[in-house]
Amino acid sequence: MSEPLVNIVDLHLSLVGGAGEVNILRGVNLSITKGETVSVLGPSGAGKTTLLMALSGLEKPTSGQVQVAGVDLTTIGEDGLARFRREHVGIVFQSFHLIPTMTALENVSLPLEFSGCRNPEEQAEEALTKAGLSDRIDHFPGELSGGEQQRVALARAFVVKPALLLADEPTGNLDRETGQIVMNLLFDLQQEHGTTLVLVTHDEILASRCERSVRMIDGCLREENGAGS
Amino acid sequence: MSSTNTIAQAIRLVRRELRGGLRGFGVFLTCLFLGVFAISAIGSFTESAKAGLLADASALLGGDLEIRLAHRELPTEGISFLTEQGQLSHVATMRTMVVDIDNDKRVLAELKAIDSSYPLYGKITSTPQLNIHNELDSRDEFGALVEAPMLSRLDTKIGNKVKVGNAQFRIKGVITTEPDRTVRAFNLGPRFMISLEGLEATGLIQPGSLIYHAYRLRLPNRETVDQLKAEMQARFPEAGWRVRSWREAAPRVTFFLDRMNLNMTLIGLCSLLVGGLGVSGAVRGYLDGKITHIATMKCLGAPGKLIFTAYLLQILFLGLLGSTAGLAAGATLPYVLKQLIGTHLPVPITPGIHWQVLVVAALFGLLIALIFSLKSLGLARLVSPSVLFRGYSESSNRNPGTVVKVSIIISAMILAALAILTSSDQRLAFWFISGASLCFVIFRFASTTVVKLTHLIPKPTNPSLRLGLGNIHRRGSPAGSALFSLGLGLTALVTVMLVQANLDDKINETVPNEAPSFFFLDLQSNQVESFEETVRKLPGLTKFERYPTLRGRITAIAGKPVTMAKVAKEVRWAVRGDRFLSYAKEKAPDIKVVAGEWWPSDYAGEPLVSITADLAEGFGVGIGDTLTINVLGRDVTARISSLREVDWSTLDLNFALLFSPGVLENAPQTNIASIHVPAEHEETAFAEITKQFPNVSAISTRELLKNVSQTLERIGTAFRSMAGLAVLIGFLVLAGAVSADQHRRIHDAVIFKVCGATRFDILGAFAAEFLFLGLIAGGISAIVGSLAAMGILKGLMKISFTLHPGTIITTILTGVALTVFLGLVGTWRALGHKPASYLRGE
Repeated sequence: MSEPLVNIVDLHLSLVGGAGEVNILRGVNLSITKGETVSVLGPSGAGKTTLLMALSGLEKPTSGQVQVAGVDLTTIGEDGLARFRREHVGIVFQSFHLIPTMTALENVSLPLEFSGCRNPEEQAEEALTKAGLSDRIDHFPGELSGGEQQRVALARAFVVKPALLLADEPTGNLDRETGQIVMNLLFDLQQEHGTTLVLVTHDEILASRCERSVRMIDGCLREENGAGS
Repeated sequence: MSSTNTIAQAIRLVRRELRGGLRGFGVFLTCLFLGVFAISAIGSFTESAKAGLLADASALLGGDLEIRLAHRELPTEGISFLTEQGQLSHVATMRTMVVDIDNDKRVLAELKAIDSSYPLYGKITSTPQLNIHNELDSRDEFGALVEAPMLSRLDTKIGNKVKVGNAQFRIKGVITTEPDRTVRAFNLGPRFMISLEGLEATGLIQPGSLIYHAYRLRLPNRETVDQLKAEMQARFPEAGWRVRSWREAAPRVTFFLDRMNLNMTLIGLCSLLVGGLGVSGAVRGYLDGKITHIATMKCLGAPGKLIFTAYLLQILFLGLLGSTAGLAAGATLPYVLKQLIGTHLPVPITPGIHWQVLVVAALFGLLIALIFSLKSLGLARLVSPSVLFRGYSESSNRNPGTVVKVSIIISAMILAALAILTSSDQRLAFWFISGASLCFVIFRFASTTVVKLTHLIPKPTNPSLRLGLGNIHRRGSPAGSALFSLGLGLTALVTVMLVQANLDDKINETVPNEAPSFFFLDLQSNQVESFEETVRKLPGLTKFERYPTLRGRITAIAGKPVTMAKVAKEVRWAVRGDRFLSYAKEKAPDIKVVAGEWWPSDYAGEPLVSITADLAEGFGVGIGDTLTINVLGRDVTARISSLREVDWSTLDLNFALLFSPGVLENAPQTNIASIHVPAEHEETAFAEITKQFPNVSAISTRELLKNVSQTLERIGTAFRSMAGLAVLIGFLVLAGAVSADQHRRIHDAVIFKVCGATRFDILGAFAAEFLFLGLIAGGISAIVGSLAAMGILKGLMKISFTLHPGTIITTILTGVALTVFLGLVGTWRALGHKPASYLRGE
């Protein structure tokens, strides 16, 4: 069996809100091997997005261990985590999170610029072409359809060839047909780059396209085939 | 929907909008507050000072009416007439040298000799408190009261004796209040007050001595003063007296106040214009945040007109709020100043509410609020309901429509007309408005061009620099308005600093190189020979000039009385009062005749006069025209035979009017002389001449220019403060632009972090953006500010202009440093934002 790219051990994460402390993740354990595609299913508020945040280093766990590509995310600071994301992680959000005042090309160039790439725009243009948006590179997000915006977001996530791609309900804001196109692109790119994929979704059919599915219920993770905790 | 319905509904909407408080309008309100405060404060202070001058008018003038004569006393007939009208007081003033008998130190003093009725109004106080008239004129010796600086300059003390002319005086006390001593820009020396009898004893009253006699009258009812003036005019038409009533007590101070008020109001208006950009940014930011709100209302059937009216009413309400606060603070300032530093102010002030000033300032505020809000309001009217169905609003449409554009132009024209019509110098106000508008256009064009040009700059490889530069030309970037506001503020500051630096230069460069070391006044004709002999023996003497001189007043120009003649503003000084006149046979080598011909040295024909070319131009006269001058009560009409070009800045002895031989020789006169000696010999020259000719007053050019310099420095401080206000508002606008942009910056920073940017990368990007902005604004300001300063110095002041790179660079670098600092303070929140909580909230 190959070395796991992701290894989560007894992960707990609590947030303090107006109504007091809420335990969102309650002892999650998960191991994902390199190149594997994993879907995370579960009802709203179960903690799926929080798990992705913890995996990307955007959220600090209360306890437990999160190891990605050999890096223990619980031991490094904010800027270290930024550098970690720059090198290893791509993220796709449900609401795209593009920068509205930047063109498609500039949005995709961003992670390349931060990683000190010499010719970011060339690579970004290539990524957009792969995403079928060669005629949209100078368009601003407000001038693109929802599907096109999500394809820009996918190009941005894949452009640095990350080892791990985290997708948080990427078709949640799209109609079925457009969602289908976006997912096809996502899986094509994943295949092409051999990227490890963690896909959060409500959609069982979409989840079934992954090699493995886990279900999050009340902050605990359960393998759909019975494994996990 | 009828107009009434629209307004009623709009008011309902405004009420709901304002329930949320004034959030988002901080910069809007502060910009209007500061701008309106500056204008209303300056106006209120000027009016209060003028009211104060008027309230103390009789005391400042020394009576309800003053008759002033140069060289001579009032004839008995005049004195009898005045004594019948009320209580009369006689005061004589002149400049003279005061010598300490013990240590032989000398100082130029402003001598004032008073009679027993002085003062008719107010009270003269001294330390120690004395019965002044007893002390000045005691039986065995004359006494004197002096101003404190005289004691230190003479290195003497109360009780010591000093000498003036042939008489000795014992210093009895130090003057603490002199009711008729008005503010004067230049005092050549401290006051030396004696009795008229004391003055007689000095022997300084010689024919032609530069002595002024003032006869003040206290009337039973001062309101009858104009009648009395008219009666005097009718009774003594040829007297040549200068008569002033309490209504014109301090014309120079009033003129100076009006001038300061005008210039500072214009700079205040400039601040308000810069503030307009803050208003514009705040309204744009506020309405951008309301786009979905507006789109929802439109979906629910609200017409664009209703949206426009509702937000217009809201802006006008807030404009009124900001302006009212500014007015309140401005109107209160004179009261506060009077309370805190009333006794130290150079003019008496009577605080009051001056409605005209406040109404004009309020109108300025409201018009600025309107002009700078209309575009955003027009765009809000055009918001498409489709925004609700897209994630992002389309911000490409920036055309608010023709009606709005025309409204902006009309409002701007009303603002310009208001500024010009309410100004005391409409020509200057017109040029200022034109200049400011030009600056606006230049900055608009320059900022748009520069923002576009940054797009063409090769992208740096450093990610922070690359992002920072990119931020400037990104769509929706506040760079344009930030550049505009910051640049305009910095331009005002660069202009004022350069004008000040050039004026300083002018003074400094004149002293050592060209200016005479001393001027000597009141040299009697019988002393000329021995004076010249003494001067020629002075060590290091390089130049010596002497002219006979007397005073006269121009009464007619080309046969027309001065009151009816057209006299250009620039030369009106020449007809305002007595002027120095002289005459010469030979043309001195320095004299430059530009039209007509100098008379032959043996000329003996009709009276001729040579005048300066600028005077001829201002009077609208030329060769062959006549000028009538009243010399000691006698009118002399002379034909203009030549025009001269005079460079007054050299401070050489020059006269606007020089007569041909045979006209003035027999009138009582004295001589004026100037000498050039190296600095190291100045002390010797001063001692030699003042010792040998005690009646001659020596004026040191160095001291005189130091005085001028100090006055300019004080005025400069006032102007720098106003320009500083423009810069402060500029920074405020920048801070407002950064703050209005906060939401976007937080969003960007979070996405940058998601994409792997460290805090240092983001900080670097923001710092680079503000650094670029500051440098660009500074660069444009350096050019525009230098051109504006050159225009003011060469065009208005007619003096040369030197670029001061040091001054410009210091001003600009300070601006850049503050821009980066303020920008980073404003974006600090964005930097510290946790991505997870932000993304969760989204």
